[in-house]
Amino acid sequence: MPENNLPEDKILLETRGITVRFGGNTAVDNVGVTMAEGQITGLIGPNGAGKTTMFNTITGLQKPASGQVLLDGNDITGLSPAKRARRGMARTFQRLELFLSLSVRDNVRVAGDILRSTGRKRFDLNAETEKVLERTGLTDIADRDVSDIPIGRARVVEVARALMTSPRVLLLDEPASGQTESETEAFAEMLTGLAGEGLAICLVEHDLPLVMKLCSTIHVLDYGALIASGTPPEIRESPEVIAAYIGTEEASHG
Amino acid sequence: MTTFLTYTILGLVLGSVYSIAASGLVLTYNTSGIFNFAHGAQAMFGTFLYWHFTERWGWPVWLALIIVIGLVGPAMGAALHTAIMRGLRGTADVTKIIVTVAVLLGTVYLAQWVWSPDEAHTVDMFFGAGAKITVGGVVIRYHEIVCLVAAVAIAAGLRVLFTRSRVGVVMRGSVDDPDLLRLNGHDPERTAMLSWALGSTLAVLAGVLIVPISGGGLDANMLTLLVIDAFAAAMFGRLRSIPRTFAGAMVLGLAANYVLAYLPSAGTFTGNLRVSLPMILLFVVLVVLPQDRLRGAAIRTRERYRVPTVRAAAVWGAVLIAVVYLYSLLLSDGAVGTFALGMTFAIIALSLTVLTGYAGELNLAPLAFGAVATVVAFHAGVQGTGLASYMSIQGLLLGVAVAALVGGLVALPALRLRGLYLALATMAFGEFLSNMVLRDSAEHELFGFTFALFPDGSLVVPPLKVGPLDLRDGTAFLMTATVLFALIAVGLAALRGSGYGRRLAAMKDSPAATAMLGQNLVRLKLSVFMISAAIAGLGGVLMSSATGTVAEENFSFIGSLSLLMLVVVAGIGYISGALFGGLMAGVGATVLVATFGDLALENEGMATVYDALGHLVLVGTALVGMGVGRNPSGFVHDVIEGYRSMRRARPVLYGAGAFGAVLYVLALTGVIGTWTFALIALCAVMLLPVFGRMYLDEGRRDRPTPLELIGVDEPYTDELRARLDRELGLPALEKGGARA
Repeated sequence: MPENNLPEDKILLETRGITVRFGGNTAVDNVGVTMAEGQITGLIGPNGAGKTTMFNTITGLQKPASGQVLLDGNDITGLSPAKRARRGMARTFQRLELFLSLSVRDNVRVAGDILRSTGRKRFDLNAETEKVLERTGLTDIADRDVSDIPIGRARVVEVARALMTSPRVLLLDEPASGQTESETEAFAEMLTGLAGEGLAICLVEHDLPLVMKLCSTIHVLDYGALIASGTPPEIRESPEVIAAYIGTEEASHG
Repeated sequence: MTTFLTYTILGLVLGSVYSIAASGLVLTYNTSGIFNFAHGAQAMFGTFLYWHFTERWGWPVWLALIIVIGLVGPAMGAALHTAIMRGLRGTADVTKIIVTVAVLLGTVYLAQWVWSPDEAHTVDMFFGAGAKITVGGVVIRYHEIVCLVAAVAIAAGLRVLFTRSRVGVVMRGSVDDPDLLRLNGHDPERTAMLSWALGSTLAVLAGVLIVPISGGGLDANMLTLLVIDAFAAAMFGRLRSIPRTFAGAMVLGLAANYVLAYLPSAGTFTGNLRVSLPMILLFVVLVVLPQDRLRGAAIRTRERYRVPTVRAAAVWGAVLIAVVYLYSLLLSDGAVGTFALGMTFAIIALSLTVLTGYAGELNLAPLAFGAVATVVAFHAGVQGTGLASYMSIQGLLLGVAVAALVGGLVALPALRLRGLYLALATMAFGEFLSNMVLRDSAEHELFGFTFALFPDGSLVVPPLKVGPLDLRDGTAFLMTATVLFALIAVGLAALRGSGYGRRLAAMKDSPAATAMLGQNLVRLKLSVFMISAAIAGLGGVLMSSATGTVAEENFSFIGSLSLLMLVVVAGIGYISGALFGGLMAGVGATVLVATFGDLALENEGMATVYDALGHLVLVGTALVGMGVGRNPSGFVHDVIEGYRSMRRARPVLYGAGAFGAVLYVLALTGVIGTWTFALIALCAVMLLPVFGRMYLDEGRRDRPTPLELIGVDEPYTDELRARLDRELGLPALEKGGARA
């Protein structure tokens, strides 16, 4: 059996023993996952398994009851979301968090505005914005209000906005839901390209064939606990995963 | 010892009433998610009714109590919920706050209409002031015992209701997840209505109890604010816990009375401190509250604003200056002065445009920052004496800078919290300033200087003079204020279109996503609040010098609220919204009421009708404010949209231009009065889009085909198919039919 993560991959992000409680409920229980540079990591599990809570904890929107988040080996558990973002973390949201009063272009551009305002980076904002729009295939709708584009494209706008910050870790929360088949295809291609440039991408997604196709490592959550981690074939064959979640799904997809 | 006991008892009694008021507030907040700024106004209205029944109609106390507390209170709450609050689910914090503010103002206006503020209204203690027992040398009145018993019973009852009863559990759930409740077979609206009825009843009870123990005099403004003091108690319980609210209320009541008992009573300081103590404590509680968790904005706000380009703003600014100048030629000197005053209010209103319209944060006391700048400018910038005195530009700028600085200090503790808390912090500051600084006529000594902040309780603020520009001339003042308004407006348009403006818009739309892009939200909020406070400061100094002599009333909390509400009604996201809202708040209502008053004097037969109309205008503005939940973009938005759609209706526009010119000449030559002119012009501006639409509608439809009718009522054309593809986000069809 191969290792879960190939040894030559550099681990960029790691969580150790993350536990999150809401009142008396434990939403995430002692979860440790890793994300490697240049790879797409999948985070899957049934609804309510704690995937989005994990994202919120990793990005700093949710304080864990215990556990650590490490970026590049540094403990960032105590940092604010903004500080984590400045260290190269970016994400999209399952329930879209677009800036509804701005156009598609300005939704992307504002990420550059923020980057520039911190004074750490000088770049041509307009050129960079157009480049990201081009790359994500949004140029044709760049001038439209973000509130009246279809949801599949809106999810791409969130990705484009995240890319504008030149992240090293990109967390995508169900980016493909609401996309048409051809959109998903183009989207998958783009993600592979981004990973090829060295980004560590984490994908929360219900489209399992897509996850199996793209990811080199997959973590499976169920009722807040990590029940399996491994390569797609390992996950496909894991009895725990089949029992908890995939069983019927797997049968229908062959 | 007796002193201590006496004041302890008094403190507990006051605390009891605070507790009753505060728990009503906590109740409605928890079941509907609406922080009811009108809570005090409801208390005030109920108490006035109680006065009316017992004093004017001479009903026995028990009967009046049954009617007011058993009937009026619940009915008022239920009606508010059904008519207004129910429609606010899923709206932005700002909208919710503004709507309750409108209810507050409407209730105060209504009360002042029904019960003239010029007459004295007093409410007696239950069983009379003489009914008392003496325990160990301490006098306790029966009324005070009633207060104590009622507070304990209510706190205990609510605690049991919330934790033990089924209804209470449903109540707690109805704010977090109304849909889940509905799935479980509960009706969240019914429980919310119940809680509004209960909350309103508690407010009324608190009002009837508090008036006799704070002097017996009944005044609409004062009583409204008195119950607002209970906000601090509610904050002790973090708007959740009834026991902690009870404890907070007691601390508040005791502190207020110990201050009175043990601080030197010479001068006005102690009295002022006692009055502002709740607001000081509110501020302290805000500082120590733990930080809020950033959540995704699950709500989708409905406000939509068009963003002007700098060039368009500059053109409109020039048009405004020209129109104001032409109009000023029609006006008498007095009217020019009034107009100038309105324009200074419009400048203050711009501070709200940038803060609330662009950044989505709230300042409930913009006038307070104007007051800060005024006090500083008065002490640092007045040159010369008597009629020759004037305000120097250095004094003005210093005032503006201090206003920005104070704004930053006030906002800082609240910025890590939700928008509601910033609103409360500004309110606390405004009240504190009104009570502590603007009433402070005592002499102070600091670094060898002797000065009084507010000598004689008022300041005489002379107009600005810079080089050859002397604002003692009315027209010069008006035009300077107008030019300043236009300049700031262009500046704001530039700001909105810049990267900074985009960051503000992003923060307003989704704080969580903005933070995730690396934006430090506290820093951004702080900067925009300081910009806003600076603008309010500038407008405030100009407003003071336009008024001439200013006192505490000129910067009152109610005045701030009414300005805010009118700007929101007009359109908080628009610069023109600030212009209309500011003019309305500064002089509009006054002018209209005065006009109706004059008409009433001239026409004795119709006096009551005109008098009523004057009051109706005030109540009417508040009614419009309550409707903000339905039209959160403001009426300016509708007007602008109307004009946009009639750009092609050239003949109508030319006709309107000609009509305007004729009207102006008629007014200039004195054929029609200036007010008639203004009224006709205003109506024409409002009605023009209607004519434009009628013109455009003639002969052709301009409404696009509803998508669902394509292929049914509408023939299937390539153009329509392309539109369908666009709407559905499908790639365009190639020639021949294959998808790209």
